[in-house]
Amino acid sequence: MSRQAAFQRMPSVPARRILIWRAGAIACALLVTAAILALSGYSPPDLALLVARSTVGSRFGMEDLALFMSPLLLTGAAVTVCNRIGLWNIGAEGQFYAGAIGAAAIGLFVPAPALVLLPLMAAAGIVAGMGWIAIPTLARAYAGVNEIITTLLLNFVASLLTYYLTTGPWRDHVTGAQVSSARLPVSIPEIWGIVHWGFPIGLLIVAVLAAVMAHTRWGYEIRVGGANPDAARYAGIPVRARIIVVMLLSGGLAGLAGMFELAGTVHRLQGGMANNFGYLGIVVAVLARGSCLDVIPAALLMAFILDAGIVLQTQQLTASVVLAITGLMLFMIAIADELAHYRPVARMKKETAP
Amino acid sequence: MADAPDRPPVAPGTPPILQLRGIGKFFPGVIANKDVDLEVWPGEIHALLGENGAGKSTLMNVVTGIYQPEEGEIILDGYGRSFASPQEAIRAGIGMVHQHFKLVQAFSVAENIHLGWDEAPRRISARVMEERTRAISERFGFPVRPDARVADLSAGEQQRVEILRVLSRRARLLIMDEPTAVLTPEETRELFRALRAFRAQGNAVIIISHKLDEVMEISDRVSILRHGRRIATFDTGDCTPSMLATTMVGREIVRRNMRARPPGAQPVSATPVMGLRNVTMLDARGVESLRDVSLDLYGGEILGIAGVAGNGQRELTQVLTGLAAPATGQVLLDGAVMARPDPAAFARAGVGHVPEDRLRSALAPSLSITDNMALREYAIPPVGRRGLYDSRAADMLARDIARVATVDIPDFAMPVRNLSGGNQQRLVARREIRIAHRVLIAAYPARGLDIGAIATMLGYLTELRDQGVAVVFISEDLEDLLNVSDRIGVMFHGRLMAVVDAADTDMETIGLLMGGRDGAPMSARGEQ
Amino acid sequence: MIALLSGMFATALLAGGVLALAALGEVMAERTGVTNLGVEGLMALGAVVAIMTVANVPNPWAGLLAAFAVGALGGMVFALGAVIMRASQVLCGLAVTFMGLGLSTALGHSYAGQPSPVVFGHVHVPLLSSIPVIGPGLFGQNILIIPIYVVLPLLVHFVMFRTRHGLNMRAVGENPAAADAAGIPVMAMRFGYVTLGGAMAGMAGGYLTLTYVPVWSEGMVAGRGWIALALVIFAGYRPVMVTCAALLFGLVTTLAFVGQARNWPIDPAFLNMLPYLGTMACIIVPVLVWRRMRRVMAAPAALAQPYYRDVR
Repeated sequence: MSRQAAFQRMPSVPARRILIWRAGAIACALLVTAAILALSGYSPPDLALLVARSTVGSRFGMEDLALFMSPLLLTGAAVTVCNRIGLWNIGAEGQFYAGAIGAAAIGLFVPAPALVLLPLMAAAGIVAGMGWIAIPTLARAYAGVNEIITTLLLNFVASLLTYYLTTGPWRDHVTGAQVSSARLPVSIPEIWGIVHWGFPIGLLIVAVLAAVMAHTRWGYEIRVGGANPDAARYAGIPVRARIIVVMLLSGGLAGLAGMFELAGTVHRLQGGMANNFGYLGIVVAVLARGSCLDVIPAALLMAFILDAGIVLQTQQLTASVVLAITGLMLFMIAIADELAHYRPVARMKKETAP
Repeated sequence: MADAPDRPPVAPGTPPILQLRGIGKFFPGVIANKDVDLEVWPGEIHALLGENGAGKSTLMNVVTGIYQPEEGEIILDGYGRSFASPQEAIRAGIGMVHQHFKLVQAFSVAENIHLGWDEAPRRISARVMEERTRAISERFGFPVRPDARVADLSAGEQQRVEILRVLSRRARLLIMDEPTAVLTPEETRELFRALRAFRAQGNAVIIISHKLDEVMEISDRVSILRHGRRIATFDTGDCTPSMLATTMVGREIVRRNMRARPPGAQPVSATPVMGLRNVTMLDARGVESLRDVSLDLYGGEILGIAGVAGNGQRELTQVLTGLAAPATGQVLLDGAVMARPDPAAFARAGVGHVPEDRLRSALAPSLSITDNMALREYAIPPVGRRGLYDSRAADMLARDIARVATVDIPDFAMPVRNLSGGNQQRLVARREIRIAHRVLIAAYPARGLDIGAIATMLGYLTELRDQGVAVVFISEDLEDLLNVSDRIGVMFHGRLMAVVDAADTDMETIGLLMGGRDGAPMSARGEQ
Repeated sequence: MIALLSGMFATALLAGGVLALAALGEVMAERTGVTNLGVEGLMALGAVVAIMTVANVPNPWAGLLAAFAVGALGGMVFALGAVIMRASQVLCGLAVTFMGLGLSTALGHSYAGQPSPVVFGHVHVPLLSSIPVIGPGLFGQNILIIPIYVVLPLLVHFVMFRTRHGLNMRAVGENPAAADAAGIPVMAMRFGYVTLGGAMAGMAGGYLTLTYVPVWSEGMVAGRGWIALALVIFAGYRPVMVTCAALLFGLVTTLAFVGQARNWPIDPAFLNMLPYLGTMACIIVPVLVWRRMRRVMAAPAALAQPYYRDVR
C-alpha cells in the first residue's frame, strides 16, 4: 500500500543546489519572456544576439555594465546588511534620492576645489541617507514598528522632494532642462572609458563589508542578532543598538550610491534619477542571499538585465518590459529557492518481517 | 492495575476500534515508523510507551490524518480507512489531544471549542458559542470558562479545552500525547478519573507516555515502541515498571544515588556564591510572576527547583542569569550586588545557563555549529581579539565542545538545526559548563531526552558539583530532582514555597507543595 | 463653509475608495496569515485593464469586472508561489508588484493619456443626497460609494466575526497547525482569500480609472497599494476600521487639493507628501503613545509564516 509522499523537505540546502535551481529559474523566466516576445512578433534569437553584442560583446557594452553596476553594488549592499540582522530596507530608493539631494546641496552651493568638494559631497550623501532612514530605524528599535512599510513610504516622499527641488528652488535656469538642477561644477573622475571611480570604490566597499561581517566581533553579533534575536539577548548582545547601527549603515550606503550616481553619471539632480536602483537593490540582495561578496555577481546579473533593457528599448520595447521580466525572474527564483529544499525519496520497499 | 471493575465487557466478535497493520512512515534520513501493528479494543486504555524518537507521536499523527503513511493500513471497526486530512479522522470518531496544545491563544475558550466544527450553526455569535460551550461543558463534566482567552489559562485548563473539543465531536477513540507533563498531581488524578469514565462508556483511549508509574496506574494494556517499531504488547497487570523500562530502552537500567560524592569532590562552600534577596518580578500585565523570593546558592551543591511549569521558574532563571532585572530586591554574586541585568557580565563572572527552550533562546538554528558554539566566548581570546572574530579559533572551540559532549559532527559549517534535539542539548550543556566556573543554571536540561541521555545530562551536573560549582537544576520530574539535588525548592505561583533537604523528603511532600499546599514538615524554609 | 465641507467630504470619499477596496481585500488575506506585498502591482494592472476594457466595451461595469478578474488572476499567481509553493511572501509580493507595474505600462502603452471613454456616472438619491455635508458625498456621487464604504465592510465584518466560516478563517492566520488539526483546510483558505484580496486590489485599480482619475498614465497608482498595506496595520486588521482609515486618508489627500485650489503658500509637492507622512505617523505614533496598542492591534500570530504539515 503506498500513498506516496514522494518529496521531502530538507531543513537546509547546500549552496550549489540553490545555484542550480536558480539557474533553472532564470532560464525559465527567460524562456517565458522569449515566448511572449515571439508571440508579439519579435524574433527572440535576433534580440538575444543583439543584446549579447551590445553588452558583453563590446567595449562600450562592458563600460555600460560597469556603470550600471556601481549604484547596484551599493544599494544591494545596503539591503544585504539590513538582511543580516533580519530586517528589510525597502527604502533604498528614498535614501538614494536623499543622498543625491544632500550631495547636490554641497556641490551646488559650496565653492571649493574638487579634491575637497567630492569627499564633502560623499559625506553629505551618506549623512543624508542615514537621516532618511533615521525615523524608520528608531520606530523599529524602540516601538517595534514594521520597517518594510515605513522605509517604503519615505521613498515617495523623497521622490516628491526631489521633484520639488528640481522644479522649484534648484531648477536649472541656464539650459532650462526639465525637472533638473543646474550642472554640478565637479564630477567624479573617470577611470576607464565612461566608468568613474565610483565603480572600484563600490567594489572595495562591498569587499570591506564582507570582511567586517565575517571576521569581526561586530559582524558576528549582527549575524547572531539576525538569525535569532532571543539567542543574541541570551548572550548579552545589545540587539537594539546593533539594529540602529546596521540600519543607519544601510541608509548611508544607499545615500552614497545616490551621491555616486549624481556626481559620476548624471552630473545634476534630476527627478527620476534613482531609476529604480533602490528597488533593484532588493533584487540584488535576494540574489546574494545575505552574503556581501555575492552582491558582486548579483549586481552584475542585474546590470546585465538593465543594459539588455536599454538595448530592447531601441527595438520599440518599453523599459517597463524589463521591470516585468525582473519581476518574473524574482518570482521564479523565490519559488526555486523553496523547491531546492525538496528531495525525492526513493520509495522504501516493504521488507519481510524478521 | 486495580481498574478492572469499570472496564466494560466486550461482546465476542466485536472488532477492535482501531487496528494498524504494517504502518511505515519515513522522514529525511529517519525511519519514524516501520512495520507497526497495533490493536485497540473498545473499553480499553492502551498505553504507548517508548523513548523520545521511538516514533510514538508520528504514529499517532498517522492515525489522525496529519501525516500520510508510506506503508501499511489503518482499519477502523473492521473497515480499512485512509485519512487524507484530520477532518476525516475526526468524522470517523478519532480525536487527539496533542502534547503541544493545538489551541489558538488569541481566541476565547468557546471559539476554540467551535474551531472547524461542521456541526456548529453557520451563523454564530460569541454569545451563542459561549452558551453552547457551557452546555457541552456540563454534559461531559469538564468545567471550563467559555469567555476566557486561552492565553490566560493554565496548562491544565487548556488541556480541558482540548479534551472537551475532542469529546464534543463524539470521539470514540481519544489519543493523548504526554497528557500529564504539564499537570499537577491533583490535576493528573482528575484527568485519570475522566479517562476512566470515558472508557466505561465503551470508548477507547491511547495514552502516550514515558512515565512508567502512570502507565502502570491508568492503562489496561501497554505497547512498547523502539526505533519506530513495535517491540511488544503486554497486559499491564503482568508488568512491572523495571521490566517496562528495560524493554523500552533495550538494556538494563541501573539507577544509582547521584547525591553521594565521590572521593576528591569539593566540599560545599561555607559562604553562598550567589543569592537572591526578596526578589519580586512583574510580568507584562503587571502581575507578580516572582514574589519575594530569597535564596542562597552554595558552591559544590545542587539546588533542585520543583514546580509545575509556569509558576515562576522562567523568571527565576532570568534574574539568576542577568536576562532580567528584578522589580524589587537584589541579586548577589560573590557578595556583590549585581546592579544591572547584563547576561554577558554574568557569563564573564562564571554563570552558565542551559535555558528551557534551547532552539528558541540558546541557539541560532540557521547559523553554523561553529558560530553557535562560539556564542559564549566570541568576545574573549582566542576567538575574540581586539574586536576581531577568529573563525579558525572558533572552529577549534566548537571541536573541543563536540568532543567533550561526545557528539559526532561531520561538518561544523552546517546549520545547527540539522542536529537532533538530543545532540543540540548536549552541545549547549557543554558550552555552558565551559564557562560555568561559579554557577550553572540548568532549566529542564533533561526535557525531551531519552533515558540514557538523561543519565548523561544528570552526570554533567554532578560532575560540576564535585568541582565546587553551584548548580541550580530546574525540572518537573520529581524522580530526577530527588536523584541529584541536595536541597529542593518548590515554586508555586511565583513564590518559593519551601526549600527542603532532599534526603529528608519524598515525592508526596513535594507534590503537595507543588499544588500550593504547605504540607511541608514544619518549615525547612531554607536555612538562612 | 458647508459647501466646502461637503465638497471635501465628497472628494475624500472618492479618493479614499481606492484605498478602502484594496485594504479591505488585504485585511482578508492577512487574516489568513498571508501578506501580499503585490497590491501595488495588482492595482496598476486593474487600472489599465479597466481602461482597455471600456475602450472596447463601453460599459463601466465591464471594466470593473475585468479589473476584478485580472486582480484575481494576479492574486492566484502570488498565491501559487507564496501559499502553495510556500516561497518567501516578501519576495513573491515584490515580484508581483514588479510584474504588475511592468506589464501594466507595457499593456497601457497605446492607451496612455487618453481619457476613459465611459466612467461611473453620478447618481442622486432623492432626499438623502441633500443631507448637509455627508449627503452629496455618499448619495450624490458614483454608485460604488455606498458598496465600498457601507456594504462591503459590514459584510466582511459579519462574515469574519459572526460566522463559523469567519472563525475558521481567523484561526488559520492565528495558528495554522491548530486549524489544521481541527480539520480546517489551511491551504484552500489561504489560497482563496489571497485570490479574493488580489481581486479587490485589481478592482481598486479599476475604480481608480473608472471614477477618480479617468485616464491611464504610467505611475498613476503612485504608491496607493503600499498605503493600503500600511492602513491594514494601522487599522489593526479590522474591516470596518480599515475603511474608516481609508476615508481619513481620502481626507488628507483632499487637503492637498484644497490647498492647491486655494493657493495656500505651500508647494503642492509637500501637500502631496501628506498621505505618505500621515500614514507613517499613524503607524508609529499610536504605538508610542499607548503601549497596550500593540496587543490590541496585534497582527495575526502566524502572519507571513508558510505552513508545513508533513515536515519535522
